[in-house]
Amino acid sequence: MPVNLKPVDVAVVGLGAAGGVAVLPLVRAGLKVAGIEAGTWMDPHKDFHPDEIHNNRRHGVTTVPKVQREIPTVRANPAETARQGAASPMMNAIGGTSIHYWAQSWRLKPWDFQARSETIRRYGAGAIPQGSTLEDWPLTYQDLEPFYDTIEHEVGVSGKAGNLQGQIDPRGNIFEGPRSREYPMPPLRGSGFTDHMAETAKKLGWHPFAPPAAINSQTYQGRSGCVYHGYCSAGGCHVSAKGSTAVTTIPAALKTKNLTIFDNAQVTRIVAGNDGKVTGVLYLRNGKEYFQPAKAVLLGSYVFENSRLLLLSKSKAYPRGLSNNHGQVGRHYFAHYDSWAGNSMKALFPFDINIWYGLPAQGACVDDFADDSFDHAGLGFIGGTSMHVYTEVHPIAAAEADRFGKAPAWGSGWKKYVRENASRVAQCYLQTSTLPYESGYLDLDDQVRDPLGDPVCRVTTGGAKENEVRAGRYAQTKMEQWFREAGAISVSKGNITVAGVTTHTYGGTRMGDNPETNVTDKWGFSHEAPNLGLIGGSVFGTSGARNPTLTIQALAWRTAEHLAKNWKSIV
Amino acid sequence: MLPHTEPSEISRRALLSATAFVPLSALLATAQPTPALPAAQTKALSAFVDRLIPVDELGPGALDAGVMNYIDRALAGVYANRKAGLLEGLEALDAYSQRENGSVFSDLTVPQRDAVITAVEAGAAAGFVNSAGFFAAVRSLTMEGMFGDPFYGGNRNFAGWDLIRYPGPRLAVGPPEQAMKVELKPVRISARGGEHAR
Repeated sequence: MPVNLKPVDVAVVGLGAAGGVAVLPLVRAGLKVAGIEAGTWMDPHKDFHPDEIHNNRRHGVTTVPKVQREIPTVRANPAETARQGAASPMMNAIGGTSIHYWAQSWRLKPWDFQARSETIRRYGAGAIPQGSTLEDWPLTYQDLEPFYDTIEHEVGVSGKAGNLQGQIDPRGNIFEGPRSREYPMPPLRGSGFTDHMAETAKKLGWHPFAPPAAINSQTYQGRSGCVYHGYCSAGGCHVSAKGSTAVTTIPAALKTKNLTIFDNAQVTRIVAGNDGKVTGVLYLRNGKEYFQPAKAVLLGSYVFENSRLLLLSKSKAYPRGLSNNHGQVGRHYFAHYDSWAGNSMKALFPFDINIWYGLPAQGACVDDFADDSFDHAGLGFIGGTSMHVYTEVHPIAAAEADRFGKAPAWGSGWKKYVRENASRVAQCYLQTSTLPYESGYLDLDDQVRDPLGDPVCRVTTGGAKENEVRAGRYAQTKMEQWFREAGAISVSKGNITVAGVTTHTYGGTRMGDNPETNVTDKWGFSHEAPNLGLIGGSVFGTSGARNPTLTIQALAWRTAEHLAKNWKSIV
Repeated sequence: MLPHTEPSEISRRALLSATAFVPLSALLATAQPTPALPAAQTKALSAFVDRLIPVDELGPGALDAGVMNYIDRALAGVYANRKAGLLEGLEALDAYSQRENGSVFSDLTVPQRDAVITAVEAGAAAGFVNSAGFFAAVRSLTMEGMFGDPFYGGNRNFAGWDLIRYPGPRLAVGPPEQAMKVELKPVRISARGGEHAR
């Protein structure tokens, strides 16, 4: 029998990028919150090192290996046997993957929220890709704008406005939606190379800008500015310049005394009563089972675990899994067509570009070929791709890298090549807006189980999609043009296919007005269990052409605030 | 097989209490690392990584840089789960060398070794579960040993970082250190400070 704990108002499952933000509006409204997290605290002084082997090769920045014990299996279609993929790129700790992420903090575009109706309006219904389950989001960019603004200021985002209340400023991204306020900090500085790329983009008639990041460009709320030391990717920040929730919203929530963190606690089930409302969560801590009663539950455990926990949590009211009486849990799943999907490129320059230091959020971006920034007539796809060149390369990765067919992989010939060229290779990050399809979904694997005996999540990708592959290839031609104009002598292109287990996955508990095709309503609350909220990329209906975290956080804040403001009617 | 023990992991207290019962020399002997791989496979692996990054006019090779030391420590610890696959590959390497050239890999001439590696890399060497996969695994370990932080036992005297002109870990980096075409004076330090394990 589990140990029954003292009831709380809200149990938040997972204190990562989403849950770590959601706790703050709840505790500020005076609600008593239990933050239940599988990992624990990390110490910036002790745990974060400029050490490629620790961070990037051995995935050492984590506190417990929970995500590695339950790596999803992946298959293209139901005829295949799903195989467990490589190590999960996510991590467990208070702060979650916001500790080691790139911290690129984008707003989606107005178009992303209304891609279906906007596509039909501009190109006709025939332009919606076949097999896609694309719907408009149940909210618009304007609805989310105040929450984007809140997160940018609470967490601290560096950047330059390109559209301030309709006023276009070419120093920022002229294609962005209108924002009510300037960023709280100026953008991160460029490097010699990224400045060179920005100048080159201007020569091509494009509109480059410094990308927004939840990384301090100067001291902000008592935390240091970035020191550009080159170990940001998969590494925690030793000066806390990266705005992980562990150093921003979670400490702010703790100050109110209304948040109690239960660390090293793995949630195994969400419990629901016969009336269909959730009553709390079961978790394991040091081998002992506890029941945390709560009047409401917010689930923020990343895309795979959000769907898995719901499917595992069967009850009388929900025989097919919690909030799954309409069979929508796990549906509309998709993975971003970014570098995880082979949508990548590298370029060799005939001079040292020196990108050893810096960070992935230090860069030059071009949005001219993203979203609906351009006319798609005759192109055969909808959506588009953001293009981002950046700094930070580590020595092992540089030595190991592909050689553009110019040298062998080993021996004296390789030594000669790598000595000359290790500091001459540029990387870019391409993110193509991605849609949900009928053929992409999550369910429980029928073979592979985690050490607790529960089935792991099974990903059925549905295979690579023509629309996204075309959009990615189109961007690759533009990216090649950009690299070559900047002086590159060789360019290599990744072969675009569908991604498996990555940091950029979406859906499974999609948000929408229609309960027949969506798990949550426009506030992020279950259509079926009214006091269960879903937070994270699992509620997204489209990906946009950019990193999801700021949108995840704006939505998480909005869901939590909605709960606090409508407490009596929801619980 | 004994667990791999770092000298630093033996606490001073354990040393003091243990010395009451055993001679210090015996105690130190137990602190010597047990190689993760048997002698024959160690020999084959050593000869292999020596050809991946040979010593030449551009400077030290993998062996001088302590790559074998790195691999040995990694296999005895965090990469213990890779050992069986590596052993299998190294046995296949010697068997293939025997069949093709009449000797185990480490006894071949340099051109013979290079021809064997070329076949292994291409996935064309018979007798392996996956010879290209074996090549990739050894190359990956070699790269980590050559270019990783010296804390882990390789990259001795920063030979790897010097080879690729990596200017070393810096705690804070200013705009001049991020200019293009700039020659930076290398910072020859480990990110783990003075805590170099062998």
